[in-house]
Amino acid sequence: MVLKRELYQALEDVVGPENISEAPVILGSYAQRGRPRFEAVTLPKTTEEVQAIVRLCNRFGVQFKASSSGWGAYGDAGGPGVVKLDLRRMNRILEINEKNMYVVVEPYVIYAQLQAELMKRGLNCNITGAGSNCSALPLAAHQGIGHLSVSGSYGERNQLALEWVTPEGEIVRAGSLGSIGQWWCGDGPGPSLRGIIRGNVMPLGGLGVYTKAAQKIYHWPGPATFPIEGVSPHYRPNQIPPGFMIHYISFPSPEKLSKAAQKVGEAEIGFILMGFNPGMISANIATNNNEDLAYIKQFTDSVQGPGFLIIMAGNSPRDTEYKEKALQQIIDEYGGEPLEAVEEPKNAGGFMWRFIRVTSSIREVARASGIFAGEVGGTDVFPLMHQYIMRSAPVKQRYIDEGKLLADGTDPFVQSVEHGHAGHAELLIRFNKQDPGSLKVAGEIAQFANKTAIEGHFGVPGHAWGDAAHDQYGPHTLNYHKWLRKIKKTFDPNAASESTNYITADN
Amino acid sequence: MALEDYRTDMEMCCRCSICKFVPLEKLTEKRHSYVCPSIARYNFHTYSGGGRTSMGLALLDEELEYDEKLLEVVYNCQMCGACDMSCKYAMDIEVLEPINEIRIKCVEGGHTVPALDGIISSLRNQATMVPGAKAKRGDWAAGLDVKDITKQQAGVIYHAGCRVCYDQDLRQVATNTIELLKKAGIDVGIAGENEICCGGRAYQMGYKEDFLNQAKKYMEIIRKSGAKTLVTGCADCYHAFKVPYDKFGLKGDLEVMHATEYLARLIEEGKLKPTKKVDIKVTYHDPCHLGRLGEPYIHWEGNPVPGHIRIFDPPKEFRRGTYGVYEPPRDVLKSIPGLKLVEMDRVKEYAWCCGAGGGVRESNPDFAKWTARERISEAESTGADAIVTACSGCEQNFKETIDECGSSLKVYDVVELLARAI
Ligand SMILES: Cc1cc2nc3c(=O)[nH]c(=O)nc-3n(C[C@H](O)[C@H](O)[C@H](O)COP(=O)(O)OP(=O)(O)OC[C@H]3O[C@@H](n4cnc5c(N)ncnc54)[C@H](O)[C@@H]3O)c2cc1C
Ligand code: SF4
Ligand code: SF4
Repeated sequence: MVLKRELYQALEDVVGPENISEAPVILGSYAQRGRPRFEAVTLPKTTEEVQAIVRLCNRFGVQFKASSSGWGAYGDAGGPGVVKLDLRRMNRILEINEKNMYVVVEPYVIYAQLQAELMKRGLNCNITGAGSNCSALPLAAHQGIGHLSVSGSYGERNQLALEWVTPEGEIVRAGSLGSIGQWWCGDGPGPSLRGIIRGNVMPLGGLGVYTKAAQKIYHWPGPATFPIEGVSPHYRPNQIPPGFMIHYISFPSPEKLSKAAQKVGEAEIGFILMGFNPGMISANIATNNNEDLAYIKQFTDSVQGPGFLIIMAGNSPRDTEYKEKALQQIIDEYGGEPLEAVEEPKNAGGFMWRFIRVTSSIREVARASGIFAGEVGGTDVFPLMHQYIMRSAPVKQRYIDEGKLLADGTDPFVQSVEHGHAGHAELLIRFNKQDPGSLKVAGEIAQFANKTAIEGHFGVPGHAWGDAAHDQYGPHTLNYHKWLRKIKKTFDPNAASESTNYITADN
Repeated sequence: MALEDYRTDMEMCCRCSICKFVPLEKLTEKRHSYVCPSIARYNFHTYSGGGRTSMGLALLDEELEYDEKLLEVVYNCQMCGACDMSCKYAMDIEVLEPINEIRIKCVEGGHTVPALDGIISSLRNQATMVPGAKAKRGDWAAGLDVKDITKQQAGVIYHAGCRVCYDQDLRQVATNTIELLKKAGIDVGIAGENEICCGGRAYQMGYKEDFLNQAKKYMEIIRKSGAKTLVTGCADCYHAFKVPYDKFGLKGDLEVMHATEYLARLIEEGKLKPTKKVDIKVTYHDPCHLGRLGEPYIHWEGNPVPGHIRIFDPPKEFRRGTYGVYEPPRDVLKSIPGLKLVEMDRVKEYAWCCGAGGGVRESNPDFAKWTARERISEAESTGADAIVTACSGCEQNFKETIDECGSSLKVYDVVELLARAI
């Protein structure tokens, strides 16, 4: 399908000829291999341009889809007849409000940029676990859960006021922005649309375009810039800033790990707490795949069982002392053992900074084979999420034994959100994407996870998106899928916002 | 190697966009956080390292026509390698190699742009990359008492490079270098009138056969001269002799050194003593082809090990920019009394390109200057009086851009400042 000339011309009038293309060489790079291509890619610069594009798509009966940094395949076209809004020219940090501790960004600010600017002001932000290469817009990430979520919460909770171009092209300002023109509150005075614009996960492009959003930010007890030295890929700080501590603690059993993680939450001592498996720890330090394999073996052999990575950041010498003592007590109570390699002076600083800046997830997930999959749990009480992942995880080992997946230290990981008030767990798999058998296994693992979640009443996991998944879960979960469809239908009567990965109105 | 040989590298690209930014761990402020001029200027993902790998696959599978837009994307890239370096912080894949192979494929298929064809025709006809060059190649050395290596043996051959030979404004670097080497008692010679282009930039532009012809001719001159060491002040030429000459088995055991490396060594050995004060605050611009791309070529032949993780037998060591030439130019600058060196935000392996590379200065001068302006403003933000570099291409592009944009920043080569101090 080629766009009608009239539409193309109208789009070009909106963004200018430099900022629109339908050349095959441009369209090709916005689609995964073998997947549908967009009809045109646009590069809007302002909310008004976004609005104009959305309105044109509605008028001409074509669909549109926006993306921020564009990593996720869910930002691609689900079929023919879709216009892309690549938001990379909307890249401003609009406000850093130090007093009220919030920040307002456009979609193409990435977390690394935001964090760097915040640290200069003694502040910090949560970063999606995907990495600081992702959009810092709290509405671009899938869930926005990450390494810092134990102390810095996650997307849904951090999001404050926002500006939204609805699927029909209306500009809606939600929260305090909608009433008094200020960014500090997501829920009022003014309309709170939190429950509409995001559900369990984000609508993944299926419900209009978010053009600006505010989010809560947090205190940063470290230096204005982390003192990193060395040349890529051997970066590490020349010293560990005072009050910062890092440990990887393994436990004799998953139950003890879970209890210890909850105690860390109760004591409020974690700056980062991730129930990483040895494979994720090794990817962080390994600068190539060969090293990775060696470290996986070394770390797997050195731990007694599942563990967590904890980074603590003391605000004062007394606070540091308290945190150290509290952790030691928890370690003693639950039989924890430190993985010494993580604490060694030559390693500790590098580990620490890679986890704080969240730079190594790409090593963890993509370096092995360029692809990863697995199951992404929901966000609910910590023990429930832990139980869920432990119940659905063993299937992975079977496939490793059959040679269909990489043996990467098989434990799933569980992480603490808001000092253990909530938890989130995932099981990642890595495999050769050219191997059809492995691709099939990835699907089977997801299905097993779905069965486990439904039969065990674990709630809807984060990997549930698209019609099929919602239709599978909805009947077991108060028919939420019917409500989601109503939302879609009401706000997007022309089905203009391409929603392969959200929900469509007409199932 | 051909584009096909990089298929699995390109298939590994996961579109994470890390190749658009300085390494995330080194990012200390938003304003200087982009690293790829091409995507920064043109914005469509295709212009980035990741976008180019996707284009490479589509070309291999004959899904794309070599139309005007495709060529515009292909040639609006400085071949600066910043994408490759940022990607390889995390990934085990080649990015710049396939980008270069795409160009080679374009040239082999006759899909080129007139500006670059013009330069190559000059290379073919006059053995220089400076079309219409009128001056005689060896004129820069007039009055210098230096050996002619086509007639006399010398331990070290100094290669001036096309730009230096034909641009009066750049000659100072070459004459200063010869004077300094002689002062230190080095047995140095030049090819003068008989010097020819190294061919390196032809390779960057995709004209592989022209590069190979040129490289073979050059190595013959060197063989006859008996020189064991080649010194050059041009980062592009340095890279050519050091990396692609080695890649194609032409370098032999010739020692290739950049002038700043050689001079830093002489200073360290006490053979040159900078004593005169040069009161100036400068910032150093790492040329891409001396810095991240200047590390030695690593010969490797092997096969992927079947399985779920990309490893090779024998293990493949990737060039990640780790061992580029970063310190010697800085060491030279630091040895100059009175000189204060301040650093820009983007340095060493993640330095922002000057804009001239990959044929962009010739095929799209506006883009070359746009890129230079970004660097000039970064240099200005340090409070430096001058931007100092170690490459005639960077120097030329900065000077021309500064003339146009009216900045008060001065442009020097490291060697020029050293010469003032001795
Ligand atoms: C390796 C990897 C690891 C991951 N780990 C985590 C994790 O730990 N925690 C987590 O929460 N998520 C995780 N994810 C999902 C992740 O959050 C998103 O992929 C990432 O945040 C997306 O950022 P982005 O800027 O690339 O968004 P994009 O890829 O650009 O977009 C993501 C989705 O949101 C839509 N979208 C983006 N911006 C807008 C906008 N402004 N308006 C409307 N729709 C928009 C897009 O259409 C797309 O469907 C992971 C993903 C990857 C690839
Ligand atoms: S080339 Fe490398 S850094 Fe760029 S998108 Fe692909 S994998 Fe990511
Ligand atoms: S070589 Fe330089 S200009 Fe070309 S894509 Fe890579 S970073 Fe961009």
